[in-house]
Amino acid sequence: MLAIAGLVTASSCTKDPMNNLSAEESRIYITNKDNNVNFGNYKTYSIADSVAVIDNNRFAGEQATAVDQQIIAAVKSAMESRGFVRVARSQSPDLGINVSRLYNTSTSVVDLNDYWSGYGGYYDPYYWGYSGYGYGYPSSYALVQSTEAMLSVDLLDLKNASANNSIRVVWNGVARGSGVFTSDAATTGVQALFNQSPYLNTVR
Amino acid sequence: MKNMKQRNLILFFVAFLFAVVAQAQPKGGTQLTLQYKAALPTGTFKNTVSDNSFRGLQASVLYGVTKNLAVGFGTGFQDFYQKYPRQLYTLSDGGDLSAVRSFSIQSIPLLAQVKWNGAPDAGIQPYVALGVGGNLVSYNDYAGEFSLEQKTKLGFAARPEAGLFIPFHKGGETGFTAGASYNLMPFSSTAVSNLNHIGIQAGLSFPLRK
Repeated sequence: MLAIAGLVTASSCTKDPMNNLSAEESRIYITNKDNNVNFGNYKTYSIADSVAVIDNNRFAGEQATAVDQQIIAAVKSAMESRGFVRVARSQSPDLGINVSRLYNTSTSVVDLNDYWSGYGGYYDPYYWGYSGYGYGYPSSYALVQSTEAMLSVDLLDLKNASANNSIRVVWNGVARGSGVFTSDAATTGVQALFNQSPYLNTVR
Repeated sequence: MKNMKQRNLILFFVAFLFAVVAQAQPKGGTQLTLQYKAALPTGTFKNTVSDNSFRGLQASVLYGVTKNLAVGFGTGFQDFYQKYPRQLYTLSDGGDLSAVRSFSIQSIPLLAQVKWNGAPDAGIQPYVALGVGGNLVSYNDYAGEFSLEQKTKLGFAARPEAGLFIPFHKGGETGFTAGASYNLMPFSSTAVSNLNHIGIQAGLSFPLRK
């Protein structure tokens, strides 16, 4: 009995890994790219002025809150620092950028491919001038997650959409974890995604 | 194959202890030992978890078969934890993951144990002991607040040990005990292949009944 009591006491002395993380440390940044793409072939981009909100796998509309605008500004700033030139959507940009806020209250294993394929058309391809096309996504990965919010940034290949018969996602960045949509975290999250993707650069 | 060998080793060891108990004339009582234990990871385990663990204990209930020899049950608990600063990891699909990675591992060995007291009447009594059996492991590998790998497994454990028992009064059965052990604990996950560590333990030993 004493030994069992001792074991129970000892178990309660376990260092809790979650309590030992700050909000910043709890966040993760994942980027994926299409390995067949040379980003130097793209010169221009266009970005939507609002953010798609995906709530439990359903498109819940577009929003442009102060934090959303901050995220879009951070993406623009990062793209321009890499040499990409922003143009209007009507000026045939080489790249289109979708920014999404995803909320998932599920506690199951999430395969990122599920939500991509599930509501891959959250921005109607018509927005980019390719009505009837689907989105093509890079390979996926899975992480166990709890209730959380995610920031997702997609770079779309509009330059070759006609040739591919698809709007290919050539780069995707996801920021996940505590407070990912707080004012500070949103900007640093976008910066982190670009910082770990030095290949996102155009040859000028 | 390796698991089969380990299972056979445990079965042989337990059968040996039963044989010893069955043949011997009882000479001592049942002795409970409770010790605080610090653990120092060794070998390849240290490559992943290098921080020493000061959150552990070790316990045994041993039956005195002769004045020198005792057999019984040994157990314990150890909590290993390691946090790495933010780093960039390459995912299996070629993606990049930036994360603060942390490992949280708990081990509870459940061992058949034999102990040899080298000088049962002395003021300072050196001993050697060996425990062989199972190891209940809870293993967690986190990227930020997200689980990368979670495993709960019963594995193999062997624990050779040496130390001293110092009775509070000469010839007494209650006293201070301290020692060191090597904890052989195979385990397989993406990041570790064993939980081998050196244990340093100290505590009290006292009789449960005469």
